Amino acid sequence: MNFNNSKFRRITALFLLFITICAATFTITSCSSGETVGKSPVEKVDDLANAKIGVQLGTTGDIYVSDEYPDAEIQQFNKGADAIQSLKQGKVDCVVIDKLPAEAFIALNKDLSILDEEFTNEDYAIAVAKENDELLDKINAALDELEANGIMQKIIDNYIGDNKGSYKYETPEGTDKSNGVLVMATNAAFEPYEYVEGGKIVGIDADMALAISDILGMELEIEDMEFDSIITAVSSGKADMGMAGLTVTEDRLKSINFTDSYTTSTQVIVVRNGKSDDLSIFSLERYENNFIKDSRWKYIAEGLLTTLEISFFAVVIGVGLGFIFAIIRATSDKTGKLKLLNLLVKIYVTIIRGTPVMIQLLIIYYVIFATSNINKVFVAVLAFGLNSAAYMTEIVRSGIMSIDNGQFEAGRSLGFNYVQTMRHFILPQALKNVLPAIGNELIVLIKETSISGYIGIMDMTRGADYIRSRTYDAFPPLIAVALVYLLIVMILTALVGKLEKKLKTDGK
Amino acid sequence: MNENNDIMISIRGLKKSFKDLEVLDGIDIDIKRGEVIAIIGPSGCGKSTFLRCINHLEEPTGGEIFIDGININDKKVDINKQRQKMMMVFQNFNLFPHMTILKNLTIGPMELKKMSKEEAETKARELLARVGLSDKENAYPSQLSGGQKQRVAICRALAMEPEAILFDEPTSALDPEMVGEVLDVMKGLAGSGITMICVTHEMGFAREVASRVVFFDQGKIAESGTPEEVFNNPKNQRLKDFLSKVL
Repeated sequence: MNFNNSKFRRITALFLLFITICAATFTITSCSSGETVGKSPVEKVDDLANAKIGVQLGTTGDIYVSDEYPDAEIQQFNKGADAIQSLKQGKVDCVVIDKLPAEAFIALNKDLSILDEEFTNEDYAIAVAKENDELLDKINAALDELEANGIMQKIIDNYIGDNKGSYKYETPEGTDKSNGVLVMATNAAFEPYEYVEGGKIVGIDADMALAISDILGMELEIEDMEFDSIITAVSSGKADMGMAGLTVTEDRLKSINFTDSYTTSTQVIVVRNGKSDDLSIFSLERYENNFIKDSRWKYIAEGLLTTLEISFFAVVIGVGLGFIFAIIRATSDKTGKLKLLNLLVKIYVTIIRGTPVMIQLLIIYYVIFATSNINKVFVAVLAFGLNSAAYMTEIVRSGIMSIDNGQFEAGRSLGFNYVQTMRHFILPQALKNVLPAIGNELIVLIKETSISGYIGIMDMTRGADYIRSRTYDAFPPLIAVALVYLLIVMILTALVGKLEKKLKTDGK
Repeated sequence: MNENNDIMISIRGLKKSFKDLEVLDGIDIDIKRGEVIAIIGPSGCGKSTFLRCINHLEEPTGGEIFIDGININDKKVDINKQRQKMMMVFQNFNLFPHMTILKNLTIGPMELKKMSKEEAETKARELLARVGLSDKENAYPSQLSGGQKQRVAICRALAMEPEAILFDEPTSALDPEMVGEVLDVMKGLAGSGITMICVTHEMGFAREVASRVVFFDQGKIAESGTPEEVFNNPKNQRLKDFLSKVL
């Protein structure tokens, strides 16, 4: 049997690496989950004064706790589920959060309880852009109508209390929807107000918004994003209204207007009760709950497709522009021509490399395309592609500059013009020299797309986040996604290695 | 045919300086078709720069260079077309390391002269056979010795069927035992009708093969004549000093 020895060795090495990573992860997590963290030191509201308090960034809980307890150590999380996770792990002593999501959390976590003492009451309202008084009036009128005909109460009762699931709001037949699109910004990780079930965003706010859009005669479109992006989305015109259990506060009123309140909620304090949550790393039920139930694996699978789509087109833009810019830079360095273009490319590279890619993504979405209703995946492709192009420019330029000037002179003296010399002699050699660096940049790019969720794209990382926000269990979805990224990078590395071998033609 | 037609390269008052350093300080020379010119002189005297100016790898700061009556420093002239008449052979060979020897020889004729692949390869194989490297056509440059590389480089120049070849110290980067094989190829070319301008330190080659020897000193042509005149009866004092050192 003819056995390819080096190939076999490589596969074995990769396999061993894989096993080691898995084993290490399992050891670490089983050690940490083996010990219970113990009861929270917070037993009544007064204990908050010196406690470590977890809150969701920008929520009423966050604002009240910060105002009332200046001596407390407050940790702000992007999601309520993250705050709960930290509480379970003993990183915070308690979590101040809306009553209804809190009840959903403790139903799934035996080791958590809600303190009997209520913290504060608040009114939820809908956010509308400051200059959009017309929409504000229309929504207020619609809310009045829904309150008068009892639909508002029916929607709330469907999600809260003893009559859950008793009523499902549906668009009345024959409703005229010709008045355009009503875009609602939300953060679908806030059960029962808005959450994902069966791939759709549901909850009190979602149903309420549908009822409002029916009265206004508009099509409802729900945009899911980070909670702290909702106000910006509304004030910048990305969305017409924000509904995400938003409470009216002084700070928020500075940038947006609020409609009348449509429901009231209570902030409560969630603590550890000292019991065990019975979660074992090897429990099959846990994996079933995270992946099989409600077809949750689909969030990761569909997210993977989006991740691959964004990565692929971003790579095309990055490599294409990178080569063009690199040739401009190198030509200018070699011949002193194209001075203006070179200056522009230099400025571009400096700015892109000097700022975080996440900020660039947010700027492109919220500033450059602020008013247009643009495809988010296109925005991500543009942001990651333009970002990668800057790095690619410097990589390819270094490759061109590494080629001996004699090669250039040999090509020119044979009678090839500048472009032909570049194409036949300089770029092929440059490309071969920088292939490992290009491969590295591609790996970075693919992993960087994991921040796409910040503009509400359902990529793979966001898919895991969704599962996590429903199951309140971080380990299975995060590890699963990490393994998929690892697999993609390993495949890419192997492909680049193959290409390197193919280009290695100088017999060395 | 009038006499002027016989002159291929005509140079008038050629000057070249790099910033403050004046390398060529007014060169006048006419080179006839088929001539073999050996350019000798101490290092730093401007020999290589002179050659690179003729190939327009350096842009002159003054004076004019006419190839077949065409001023190649004229911006309107297609320099790439002019260059195809005169090939350059470099001290460091400058073969294309990512291409096989055969490809090194065929890429120019195929891309620039629109020669068919078969025709270009037939011609390339003929040339390789002439320099005794038929067995290397599928090798890559890194697999060849210095002498073999320089012979391939000469073949690459010949494959373009030029009217002249400019040799820029073609044996200076070679181990001593390899100098002979390259000089033999060059000797074979002399007298074949092709114009050769060789910047060289090989005085034996200059004496034996050149039809004219030109001595460069401090950016000027200090003396020129037949090999007998220059080597046996030098008039310029700097040439006498130079010859006493190298002979």
